[in-house]
Amino acid sequence: MARAAKSALVLCMDVGFSMSNSPPGEEPPFDQAKKVIQKFVQRQVFSESKDEMALVLFGTDATKNPLDQDGQYQHITVRRQLMAPDFELLEEIENHVRPESQQTDCIFSLVAVGLFIQVKKYDRLNIVLLTDLSTQVSSDNLDVIIGNLGKLGITLQFFFPFPMEEEEHNEEGGGGDGDGDRRGSSRPGVGKGLSREQKQGLEMVRDIMLSLDEDEGLDQVYTFSEAIEQLFMFKHIERRPMAWPCQLTIGSSLSIRIVGYKAVTDEKLKKMWITVDAQTSKRDDVKRETVYCLDDDNETEVQKDDTIQGFRYGSDIVPFSKVDQEQMKYKHDGKCFAVLGFTKHDSIHRHLFMGSQTIKMFAPKDDEHAGVALSALIQALDKLNMVAIVRYAYDRRCNPQVGAAFPCIKQTYECLVYVQLPFMEDLRQFSFPSLENKKFTPSESQLAAVDSLIDSMMLVEEDENGQKEDMYKVHEIPNPAFQRLFQCLHHRAVNPGTPLPTMEQWLKDALERPSAISERCQAPLEEMKRKFPLKAVEKKKELKTGAQIFGKGSAEPDAKKSKVDEEEEEFNLAKISEGNVTSVGSVDPARDFRSLINQKSLPFGEVCQQLTHRIEQLLSNRSTHYYMKCITCIQTFREQSVKLGNADLYNSYLQSLKKSIPNSGLQVFWDLLVQGMISLFIGEEKKEVETEPAVDDAGDVDDLVSVCLNSSALKYLMFVS
Amino acid sequence: MAEWNAFYQNEEADEEQEEGEESAVNYKVTGRDSLVFLVDASKEMFIKGEDGEPSNFDITMQCVRSVYTSKIISSHRDLVALVFYGTEKSKNPRNSFKHVYVYHDLDEPGAKRVQDVEALRGERGARLAADTMGSGEVSLGDALWCCSNLYSDIKLRLSHKRLMIFTCMDQPHGGDSTKDRQARTKAGDLKETGVVIDLMHLMKPGGFDVSLFFCDIVSPPEDESELGLQVEPCGKLDDLQKRVQAKQQKKRAMARLHTVIGMNVAVGVYANAVTARKPSAIRLYRETNEPVHSKTRTFHTQTGSLLLPSETRKVYGNRQIVMEKDEVDTIKKFYDPEIFLIGFKPMEKLKLHHHIRPSVLLYPEEQQVTGSSCVFAALLKKCTEKKVFAVCRYTPRRNYPPRFVALVPQREEVDESNVQVTPPGFNAIFLPFADDIRKLDTPQFPTASDVQVDKMKEIITKMRFKYRSDAFENPVIQQHYRNLEALALDMLAPESIEDFIMPKVEQIDRRLGPLVDEFKELVYPASYNPDSKPAAKRKTADAGGGDEKKPKVEIPEAELRAHIKNGTLGKLTVPVLKEACKQFGIRTTGTKKQELMDALIAQMAK
Repeated sequence: MARAAKSALVLCMDVGFSMSNSPPGEEPPFDQAKKVIQKFVQRQVFSESKDEMALVLFGTDATKNPLDQDGQYQHITVRRQLMAPDFELLEEIENHVRPESQQTDCIFSLVAVGLFIQVKKYDRLNIVLLTDLSTQVSSDNLDVIIGNLGKLGITLQFFFPFPMEEEEHNEEGGGGDGDGDRRGSSRPGVGKGLSREQKQGLEMVRDIMLSLDEDEGLDQVYTFSEAIEQLFMFKHIERRPMAWPCQLTIGSSLSIRIVGYKAVTDEKLKKMWITVDAQTSKRDDVKRETVYCLDDDNETEVQKDDTIQGFRYGSDIVPFSKVDQEQMKYKHDGKCFAVLGFTKHDSIHRHLFMGSQTIKMFAPKDDEHAGVALSALIQALDKLNMVAIVRYAYDRRCNPQVGAAFPCIKQTYECLVYVQLPFMEDLRQFSFPSLENKKFTPSESQLAAVDSLIDSMMLVEEDENGQKEDMYKVHEIPNPAFQRLFQCLHHRAVNPGTPLPTMEQWLKDALERPSAISERCQAPLEEMKRKFPLKAVEKKKELKTGAQIFGKGSAEPDAKKSKVDEEEEEFNLAKISEGNVTSVGSVDPARDFRSLINQKSLPFGEVCQQLTHRIEQLLSNRSTHYYMKCITCIQTFREQSVKLGNADLYNSYLQSLKKSIPNSGLQVFWDLLVQGMISLFIGEEKKEVETEPAVDDAGDVDDLVSVCLNSSALKYLMFVS
Repeated sequence: MAEWNAFYQNEEADEEQEEGEESAVNYKVTGRDSLVFLVDASKEMFIKGEDGEPSNFDITMQCVRSVYTSKIISSHRDLVALVFYGTEKSKNPRNSFKHVYVYHDLDEPGAKRVQDVEALRGERGARLAADTMGSGEVSLGDALWCCSNLYSDIKLRLSHKRLMIFTCMDQPHGGDSTKDRQARTKAGDLKETGVVIDLMHLMKPGGFDVSLFFCDIVSPPEDESELGLQVEPCGKLDDLQKRVQAKQQKKRAMARLHTVIGMNVAVGVYANAVTARKPSAIRLYRETNEPVHSKTRTFHTQTGSLLLPSETRKVYGNRQIVMEKDEVDTIKKFYDPEIFLIGFKPMEKLKLHHHIRPSVLLYPEEQQVTGSSCVFAALLKKCTEKKVFAVCRYTPRRNYPPRFVALVPQREEVDESNVQVTPPGFNAIFLPFADDIRKLDTPQFPTASDVQVDKMKEIITKMRFKYRSDAFENPVIQQHYRNLEALALDMLAPESIEDFIMPKVEQIDRRLGPLVDEFKELVYPASYNPDSKPAAKRKTADAGGGDEKKPKVEIPEAELRAHIKNGTLGKLTVPVLKEACKQFGIRTTGTKKQELMDALIAQMAK
């Protein structure tokens, strides 16, 4: 979206004599300041920001500025006029900004800057000054300075190597608003006392800032180290999010004018990586092309124009042209923020928020009536602990959404916060085995260990004043992916041909656990390790194959398995009517076999023999009906073997059966057995039953499928997701 | 100190990890579902109810059709079959069973099948059924045996096997004990091969007595507390007829990571909800409607030779900063895949508006590291008790920059019938970085007075409802499926959908009654009309939005020539230039202004 007005930023850096002084072992202020500037310019360049930028150096040996007359405004060099930041600016900073030996009155120089920067049609102009304030400053022109800056609508930001005032740092961002509180922990910056000049300079800065903005003026004063890590302080000069004016409607006749702004969104890089030819590095030399081929032996290519689109409908593909699709698709009336109803706040689950953004809805700036009406809604929702469920459509081309509008009341403003909610089709209603399982229930001492671990790792603690201090604010960490990318691009640009640098230390540190926590949690961690035995299961080769997939019941709660057993043993009417079983008959050999084993009247071996005999007999018929029966028999054989913990007979029978298959022409039967019904050997159920390698060879494992005994896994309406 | 080391369970396949099939464990389902409808076709099924109510057969066909159409959308890979028993004629694979008519073999459902079933509905359907199959002797045993053959003929891996019997006869064999026994035996066999048998008993004068026969046929209830055998004529039918058109999602982990505090606790990562989109289109060859597949290749424009990945490099943006491909990957790499615990924070520190993407659910992977579940359960318990969440650094894959997540404990919840409503686990809520938060100018307004707020409270109370996250269907997707169905089944018009996210304006108005005017009186002055200004604005926005409404910008040829002559062609806008190109029948490949101008100048020079 094009925007007429632009922002402009003037970076003023003191490169004078004192900036390169530092106590041994500490980084000179000059280096720090240069880093801040590089970081910021980097960011602007690589995101291809259109906001213009100028660079002015104070304390240079030479003088180069439009006001250079009569020995006034000496030692000020305009390195770069206001223009869009580009790659050359980065190079210039890298190569031409170096410590020099003069001194200027920095505050006074600001006036010069204010004068010679032509204030064109910028909708905001910001001047940033990086200095150590070591020069004598004169307070004579203070009023003039303030007056001028105020008139031109210029805002100021100051960066010093030391904190403005120690006490300031105890302040905690009021109201608990995540966006508002921006003070990090007080940095162990320059602890040494400040010189007279510096103190005097600070006084003046304070005067200036407070007269420009009484309330928040001092918020715009930072230390170098803060700036390097938290570039978000530059945010307030970044472009404003697009406004989305609309009306909130309740029914047909109540509407409130609102304006929406994206407040939080998953920010992506603006530019993409492009593939180029390795030799020429030219983009145009590489072309990607997509061709369409028929599924025949020659893979005959067809022109894109000769293809149409279709969609799958079951086993069919239905041709459905783009035109038809457009004609028949769901259409709606466009932009919309309509209330469907109101519901309890706690019926909205945080983990079911959808989309990649939250939008804040305000009343339009100039419309007080809308403001009051919206305020009434926000206050009422907040008091009742309710939220509005709304239909939201960005515009006619976008699909409508369902979402929730939460009331949000801060000290300085009120708004509605809109978040998208899921459609029925979006939900993945998976169920997982309960963890309230005897096997997993932690003991009291285990719970105690977790308890002390949590206590030792609390990131939010009350200090002596009862103020809660959060020592790890994720929303103040810059996205490391961006930082790292900019660092590498910058490096590659300035030092072509050299390997990429390692990650910067501050960034590494920012992503780690705070050191205080690491120390504190050491002992509880050791205790955890002692209390919870963990054992990595060796990776099995077949992990992806059948054996694992169908390893039903390995960790399945035991309760279910035993239930299955019970079911098998329960009486049924058929059994009663059958009377006593004395041998394995041919009508239902499997059942007879089971009954015989349960009766224990005959030795296991003999019953097995009877059964295998019966199987051979049935198989000799070479008919699918009988194959089914045999499979049932084999399955029962297996199941009973597992139950009795005696697999030898079963295994050896199957082995011999397998051997006999090629000669007996029973391949069909064997395929049936293997592919659909039974996992041949007993791996998981009982340890004591060893897997027989002869049968369970690699070729078969993939195909074996265990019997799905676990009927409880079958949900009634399996087609209802 | 020891870290939360992470490892991938199949390192070599981690590219596919994102979407790829996962090796599943017990509670994850693979393979296809299968469903056999076994429908009684005896005369009793065709008897119409009083007052012209549809016959049981008709109801059944309606039911089968709706399951077919739902299956097609939700999981078209599943297999379904339709078998009639008690028919006069026989039709089954080897024709070894009498009075069993396999109407549809076990196979993926398609448009043809839906139409087949459709043909069996109503008056005409009954006649068709009588002609093709007729009614005859009943042998449920044979029918079941035939069904078991259907299953055994399938060479695919089946996860669920299910058989539904539709009948209105509680004694199908009229007391013939041999046949009864045979049926019981066969049912037993089927159940042992993992087939779940369900009874959908239909209305019968005098009531359907399940205990007479069918209690021995059907699979035992899943739960002791639940009476599997319903005495009421089947309520399940309603469920079957409910049309739900959502693509069924197989559960699979997006990543398997090792986490936690100095110990390798293995967890799987699952999506809670993923924005459903229309299924993607398939390209077809215009002549034959056969699907085509696409191949993408990278080649050199000068030489025309194909380029290997090693022969290319990457450039960022428009600047000439060149990197090798693997360098680009290294830049993205921070940590090995893991979930690294930073610490804990009280729940109230989790900001509602800090939302950047849908959350995921973590559940322990006992199969990878034994003991994981126990640590997990302990953490879950303690975090819930202490009302804290864990802040973690989350690296789902290699070469993936980290994000931070808040692990919010979620205890298991079950409903009255002991079915899990909410699974146990930690929800990982993604936290924004500084870059993701935008600074807004916040306009300030006077806050509303108590009277105004109270009036609004009344309005809110009138419009209360109980929100359920599965209550809203996506009208865009539903419409698409209906359209597709209409095309596939040669219907005259697609079935209409209900737009659940449309406010029910009339009902709201009725409910609120005078409240709206009262509220408006309290907050708006008489002259104020909230609809006026934006209404005007909206018009322009709409006009800008619709492409087809753009006025045609044509330019006379003389003027164009004048521009070319004076070299002022650049003054014209791109749409004007494009239109001019069209006017003169110039085919332009580019959309850049210069390209358009060049093409025009070339054309005019002719």
